[in-house]
Amino acid sequence: MAAAIRHLTEISEEDELRARFYGLLAALLAKPADAEMLGRLSKIEGDETDIGVGLCALSNVARATSPEAVEREFNNLFIGIGKGELVPFGSYYLTGFLNEKPLAKLRDAMEQHGISRADELHEPEDNIASVCEMMAGLITGAFGQPVSLAEQRAFFKAHVGNWAGQFFADLEAASGAVFYMPVGTIGRAFIAIEEEAFEMTA
Amino acid sequence: MSKEREVSTASRRAFLKSAGLAAGAAGVAATAITSGSDEASATTVKSPASAGYRETDHVRKVYELSKF
Repeated sequence: MAAAIRHLTEISEEDELRARFYGLLAALLAKPADAEMLGRLSKIEGDETDIGVGLCALSNVARATSPEAVEREFNNLFIGIGKGELVPFGSYYLTGFLNEKPLAKLRDAMEQHGISRADELHEPEDNIASVCEMMAGLITGAFGQPVSLAEQRAFFKAHVGNWAGQFFADLEAASGAVFYMPVGTIGRAFIAIEEEAFEMTA
Repeated sequence: MSKEREVSTASRRAFLKSAGLAAGAAGVAATAITSGSDEASATTVKSPASAGYRETDHVRKVYELSKF
């Protein structure tokens, strides 16, 4: 797969790695991890970096948990009865309400980049999984051509970096988070890396 | 590309490598969980363009339904 992505779009190695992390976070937050996903996650090895420590913890908890437990946790955290412990939408994080101006701005940006919501999705597009998937797609060219770093930076600043770090920190600290705690760790560390790396191109 | 831009690109590259993306991502790669993988990717968004056409009517409808 790695070779395929590189071959198709000729993106640099580190950009491919960034896309992988966005893809991983999107896959983990779009829906509860199933048995197959947990099996894959349990094979991940980490190193001593912040992200590596998070990956190692995720791998350990993936080995110890079950798809049923993960689904229960996912629902309690993000769906809940009426409202989950966390509200994983940009508009909510930025304004305190769903479907506000930040969502409108994101939709404008999506249109500009030729991105549309999947047919089966019935929630606002500023969901954390969706914006991570959008970043991955902008990097790899899934929506056409890979976009320039300057454009990635603009999208990140306007729709991801201004709230995702806080969301992942909240996820890491959420009382209901066991499997999702290291997901929060990985996301928080990754968003911080992205912020710092984008500053270098400013 | 200007000289200044080249320098910042190189330092950005070095920074991303040192941040542990590579080591961690080696594991992530081995699990085939990537944005481009059919097997375990999220599917919350799509590209109308990649399907060979732009579903502008569909997009409009989605916006309409969500009262935008």
